[in-house]
Amino acid sequence: MSEAEIKPHAGAVKFTMLLSGLVFVLMMALGLIMRAAQGEFIELDPALFYQILTAHGAGMVGVAGLSGAAIMWYFVGRYVQLSAAMYWAFLGLFLLGVVLILSAIFLGEFGGAWTFLFPLPAIAGGAWEPWAAATFILGYVSIGVGFLLYYLAIGYPVIKRYGGLARALGWHVVFAGADPADGPPPTIIAAAAVTVFNTLGTVVGAAVLVASLVHLLVPGFAVDALLAKNAIYFFGHVFINASIYMAVIAVYEIVPEYTGRPWKSSRPFIIAWSAILLFVMAVYPHHLQQDVVMPGWILVMGQVVSYLNGVPLLAVTAFSLGVYLHGSKARWDLGLSLLVLGVGGWSIGAIPAIIDGMLVVNKVMHNTQWVPGHFHIYLLLGEVAMSFGFMAWLVRKGQASEAGMSTLDKATFGTYLVGAAGFTMVFLISGALSVPRRWAVHLPGWILQDRIGTLFAALVVLSTLALVLKYAVGLGRGQRS
Amino acid sequence: MSAQSSIYRWFPSLGVLVLGVGTLWAATDGFRALTEESARRLQVAESRPQVPSLLLEDMNGRILGLTHGAFADKAGEERQITLVEFIYTSCPTICQTAGSDYAQLRDRLKQSGLGDRVRLLSVSFDPEQDGPEELRGYAEAHGADGVLWNIARVGVQDLELMKRSFGLRVIPDVWGGYEHNAAMHLIDPSGRFSAVFDIDDVEGAYRALEERL
Amino acid sequence: MTRTLFAVLSAVLFSGCVVFRGELEADPVTHMLLQLPALALAGVLLLLATDLRFVKLPAYFANAITLVAVFAVFFWMLPRYIDASLINPFVEFAKFLTLPTLVGASLALAWRQAHPFLRGFLKANAISMLGVLGFLYIHAPLRICNSYLVSDQQRLGYGFLIAAIAVSLAWTFPLFFPSPSETGASQSKTNKVTV
Ligand code: HEM
Ligand SMILES: [Cu+2]
Repeated sequence: MSEAEIKPHAGAVKFTMLLSGLVFVLMMALGLIMRAAQGEFIELDPALFYQILTAHGAGMVGVAGLSGAAIMWYFVGRYVQLSAAMYWAFLGLFLLGVVLILSAIFLGEFGGAWTFLFPLPAIAGGAWEPWAAATFILGYVSIGVGFLLYYLAIGYPVIKRYGGLARALGWHVVFAGADPADGPPPTIIAAAAVTVFNTLGTVVGAAVLVASLVHLLVPGFAVDALLAKNAIYFFGHVFINASIYMAVIAVYEIVPEYTGRPWKSSRPFIIAWSAILLFVMAVYPHHLQQDVVMPGWILVMGQVVSYLNGVPLLAVTAFSLGVYLHGSKARWDLGLSLLVLGVGGWSIGAIPAIIDGMLVVNKVMHNTQWVPGHFHIYLLLGEVAMSFGFMAWLVRKGQASEAGMSTLDKATFGTYLVGAAGFTMVFLISGALSVPRRWAVHLPGWILQDRIGTLFAALVVLSTLALVLKYAVGLGRGQRS
Repeated sequence: MSAQSSIYRWFPSLGVLVLGVGTLWAATDGFRALTEESARRLQVAESRPQVPSLLLEDMNGRILGLTHGAFADKAGEERQITLVEFIYTSCPTICQTAGSDYAQLRDRLKQSGLGDRVRLLSVSFDPEQDGPEELRGYAEAHGADGVLWNIARVGVQDLELMKRSFGLRVIPDVWGGYEHNAAMHLIDPSGRFSAVFDIDDVEGAYRALEERL
Repeated sequence: MTRTLFAVLSAVLFSGCVVFRGELEADPVTHMLLQLPALALAGVLLLLATDLRFVKLPAYFANAITLVAVFAVFFWMLPRYIDASLINPFVEFAKFLTLPTLVGASLALAWRQAHPFLRGFLKANAISMLGVLGFLYIHAPLRICNSYLVSDQQRLGYGFLIAAIAVSLAWTFPLFFPSPSETGASQSKTNKVTV
């Protein structure tokens, strides 16, 4: 590793992770408020509920992307020289987007949810003014432009250094029989794949956003609703998945510091990442299975890919993780525990996702809390756990191999695990019992589940707060020494 | 890249950016008019051009003026504002919609009592095909009474002048009919063309009439 | 030798656009997706036929010239001026003048020397913008050009969509398999990696 010559932008990344941690807690608090309102612990005006739902959805998806991006930047920075200016431009545009989105929601009372499907955001029955919707979309555009710069800044030096994306993805090892030892490191393979599909996702997203913006400003123009829905789900699906695929790089880079065994780019690993590159883009139609006007073959493709999606990569990552950890003398600390939890949660979250991807099940369950159930598993127990694992590692004391886990760490980790597992399980159970998603007010029969969910959610918020505090304190200590 | 690292190297690009945005701004009337149709409407609202006093022939074969004046019909004497729509009666689509939207506007005007101070005109730009009989057919289909709402055609010799004064664009479609920019055109008491409304913007047209009366 | 060829090709393209003006402009698809790009291409070829092709510009200057082309393209994407070029001879003349010079020649001169991040950014935006045009033209209750039928407008929308897909494939593929001269392998001064 050429860590000596090429220095990652540690300061910028640490700052970004602090921001991300704070936003995670804040957005979780919003989630708690929603859950408490559904459980009638508190009273919440439904209009406000939908504003909070919008802020929570857009905010969480955005900050998951941000933390994933910071992780990938940090580790790609170990192999190629990245442009700090581009990173700050990315962060600046991201924050500008956040300001716009928050003003749209809380000043403009925009409550069209983060996917704002037709006839939203334009036809809102007077709930908000067109300017609020336009501001919200502009916020997205700003974040999209930021990510475009980010991927240019990653893609260009990677292409230069490794001689094209094909080699950066390790294809010469798989197809031309080169020795895996000559292949690129796992981080570069992951970065190359994410760069390709998330750039395409961003480009498609930008197209539908700008078209919607034109429609808002000049109502005479209109956008084909089905085409727009396809585009929105394409970029929504790609973007949220990319956040996990970026965060998992932390596992590839950090776990070896504990086990003492480098994570290798084996042939299955390379093939799995190339498969992901295709699947991530081909799977989005599983969101459209209730749109009967969609051509049949697209829906079938969505279903088939939905079975395959994630499996190769998950299998390879989870399996290798097991092998690397097994019999190694790794000492467990907070960072390692959270990273391993992240891979575990991500794997488990895939199961209910696959079930929901089946056409038969989907017809019944797609608009129930089964859906937030499955994505909260792979986000809360997956991406978020990996991000906090990375943060704990950033502020670890001494060498990773010497660290241990204090009682406080253990309590924090345990609370997080129990809270998140319980909270998501309740969503799944409610979903199986046909409780709809996105309802501000729940029927009396559902209240008990909602209350149990709320209590678990409170555990998550508490433990996350502890994680952020620990990180902030660790940063402060690092500053002083 | 360039070794020169002073801020001056941003100047050329910034200059082009400013000039470029400025040009686009000017070319679209401050980003308000991206299409010819919106440009036409903007220009009308700002310059209020004088409408030529053309003569029309209505569905009963009577002659009347497009603007007011010598040849205004009896009832037209007190009718100060004219709203014109351009149609051709064999149109299967937009002109029929336009007719029913006009009918709504007529009802609103009657209800509020403004009905005897406004004149609604549907003028055919296809005088070869649309004789008085065809015009009457259109009138019957939409309930135009010939007083508050009259259907007329322009003379062949005046067709070009009329199209030009209103920025009317008529192009043949593939079914032997025409596609054309459909709108309501407001001619104010001084004979000036001063506003354009979408055919379904009954509310907007009504409010504009109310304001001017 | 090749120079003469470029010059001849440029002249042929340009005069083709002028002579078959009526035919090309009768249909918005050939107008927007054939005539306008052909005019720009004529400008590219014209520049390649001269010594200007060897001019070495500082990157910041190349960026500025590239932006000139971007704004010229924006201008000719305004439906208002496409309409106007059909009825107003001055606008038509401006079209035949500015597309080869401001778009074609500018790009031929400056594109390769512009900053790689700028080029990548513009390419991504070009794809998005073609997508936006596709979105808006395929499903427009509004007639965007008074000179063209709504059905033509929809065909143009699909044309833009196809162009967006074609262009994104054409630009992505070389990123996977760049020729060796285009990567860091050669540390030559002219850095031609297309991002
Ligand atoms: C303490 C932690 C959290 C709580 C209490 C919480 C709570 C909620 C609730 C109550 C809903 C609405 C469910 C419904 O439709 O009935 C929701 C939706 C959602 N949550 Fe969370 N959440 C938490 C963490 C997260 C995290 C970490 C993420 C992503 C990184 C996330 C992303 C989302 C998204 C994308 C939606 C869907 C919004 C929509 O339907 O438009 N949440 N959450
Ligand atoms: Cu018609």
